[in-house]
Amino acid sequence: MTNASAKDGVSAKLKNWIVANPDLAFAILLAVCVYSYFAFTNEFFFTHRTTYAIMERFAVLGLVGLALTLCIIAGEIDLSIGSNAALAAVIVVRFTDQLGAPTAALIAVAIAGTIGLIQGYFIAYLRIRAIVLTVGTLMLLRGVALFAAEEKTVMLTDFTVPDFITTKMLVYFSPASLLVILMFVLVGLFMNYTRYGREIYAIGGARKEALASGINLKRPMMIVFMISGLCAGLGGVIIGLRSGTAQALGLQYLLLAGTVAAFIGGVSILGGRGGVIGAAIGTLTVNFLNTGLVFNVTPAFMVQLYLGILLMIVIMFQTGSRLFDAQQRRKHVLSAVDHRRDIFLTRRDEFAAARRE
Amino acid sequence: MSTRAMSEEGAERDPGWASRLAAHYSPLVFILVLLFAIIFIYGMVTAPNFLTVFNLKTIIRDAALVGIMAIGLTFVTLSGNFFLLSMKETAALCIIAFAMAMSGGYGFELAFLFTMAIAIVAGSLQGVLIGLGGNPIVVTLGAAGLFFGLASWWSDNLVVSFRRPHGAEWLGTGSFLGLPNITIAFILIAITAEIVLRYTTFGRQVYLIGANRAAGRATGHENFSMAIKTCTIASVCSAFVAIAFSAQVSSAQANYFSSEFGSSGDMTILVIATVMVGGNSIMGGYGSTLRSSLGAIFISTVDNMMVLHGFNSGPRVLAVGLMIVFSIIVFALVRRGSRVQE
Repeated sequence: MTNASAKDGVSAKLKNWIVANPDLAFAILLAVCVYSYFAFTNEFFFTHRTTYAIMERFAVLGLVGLALTLCIIAGEIDLSIGSNAALAAVIVVRFTDQLGAPTAALIAVAIAGTIGLIQGYFIAYLRIRAIVLTVGTLMLLRGVALFAAEEKTVMLTDFTVPDFITTKMLVYFSPASLLVILMFVLVGLFMNYTRYGREIYAIGGARKEALASGINLKRPMMIVFMISGLCAGLGGVIIGLRSGTAQALGLQYLLLAGTVAAFIGGVSILGGRGGVIGAAIGTLTVNFLNTGLVFNVTPAFMVQLYLGILLMIVIMFQTGSRLFDAQQRRKHVLSAVDHRRDIFLTRRDEFAAARRE
Repeated sequence: MSTRAMSEEGAERDPGWASRLAAHYSPLVFILVLLFAIIFIYGMVTAPNFLTVFNLKTIIRDAALVGIMAIGLTFVTLSGNFFLLSMKETAALCIIAFAMAMSGGYGFELAFLFTMAIAIVAGSLQGVLIGLGGNPIVVTLGAAGLFFGLASWWSDNLVVSFRRPHGAEWLGTGSFLGLPNITIAFILIAITAEIVLRYTTFGRQVYLIGANRAAGRATGHENFSMAIKTCTIASVCSAFVAIAFSAQVSSAQANYFSSEFGSSGDMTILVIATVMVGGNSIMGGYGSTLRSSLGAIFISTVDNMMVLHGFNSGPRVLAVGLMIVFSIIVFALVRRGSRVQE
């Protein structure tokens, strides 16, 4: 008896949760579907080593997905994320030999964060859309990265650092992926439990109302782009140190993969929706797909093809649901108007009849 | 008496050519022309072979391919749909289609029509999604991945080449009256696009929808059909560039436009840079294709001069990046008071 009621309580809670977070439920469903598809079709997919490989991919892509999720929550998009990561990778690889890995990494991440901060300031100060400025800085940062790398592929000479970064810990993790998970937790706490995080949601969901209620646009914008820059920088540092090489023109694929991850995680292009958990699940889905396709010996450009199709499907879905909502609302309003008119007309007729009598 | 009054009235109406110019064109254009003059004179003084007819022809020729794409993209930008991130991927798909048809022995005309058909399909696919209310950036980012994947898959990521006496040589390497045919095509396309934008109903609609979408909708000009039309124009322009480039080198590969093209890295970003440096409002409704063409020539001039001075690709990409950011900031500051933030 008590057992049954407890069960009912759980299922009711689950139902409530799904109704409250349909996007997140959809994302989890998609992730489970993709994972189980590959787990059933490939015998090596459901193993410890593959999970470790997926977490390694998660370390970089998760950061980019997180950064883009925050930007899209704020109603903007950061196109310069790949360039920023490439710059950080070049810097860290170039200076590791002279300064040691921790200092070089710190410098690279700090530079990337500062670039993000400056971008955010200019976007808020000039009151332009972020895409306009970041498409410019995309090229500018590529130039800076080319300049810093002297147009060459820079390489590490000492490979102790890459070895340390990819050491296995706790079966599934490496120092890099643990750091990234920590970053996720911190950003998640920041977004959910501080005033600044809520400001970011506010400027994304309802920019005009947020500004009218006294939010200074500069602060949330600078915070968002600083976090985005930090994430890009950290991602670049991890890639650079892990592979031991860096190219100024590399890492262009991050933007597409990160955007797909963010959209699967349930952000809306109109802003104000989505969250860190969604970003993590979205990235994991992309990683499952990516790793699974690699297992089936798919060339890299096919992965890009699938990601492109996935992104377009998600966009179509979102746009369709928005159009459907708008139509429903319109229908509702029209029916309400019709109803009132009917009431009005019957009352008028009644009144006229009463007067005639 | 009456003549005096008339002349007074005329004087009032005609406040001198300088201020009339200032009213007509934004300060950005002045700054651009001034910068252009400075760079031109600097180049003339410091690089001895800058001001030769051959070099000037080279500059315009370099500007042609990017310029044609930028003219196509200007329609999208003017109609308020920001920009397409899939320009180079559309070109990649089209170049593979063209080379495949040429190497299959179908002749230039059929290959041209086939490529254009693919470009129209690609453009209208994006246009439909954008017109339905999808964000242009995200839609075209997805489309970019899709097109590039298709192009690589179709060609197995290999070079597709076709043998040299072929029907497209006149477009790739031919010349007319001493000018390369690509340059002539660029000039013709620029003039046509400007006429279309200024003197046709369609051109007016582009400006109207870009300047004020709500007003456009209220007067029956939906963005849906406009997005399809402008995206198709942009796609067709990149298909034309792909055909011209393929005709020039008699081969095609999916990543011809990716990073090694020209000097300044990514072709798509270079095209967007051209539109921005020309001084078009990225929010739509303000600008012209003429500005984009001039922007292409400007970037090409700066690039040419840096090559003559022996700079590597790093500083050159940096210079183009600085130009974009500068143009964005000046443009935003100039138009700050006059435009409501979206």
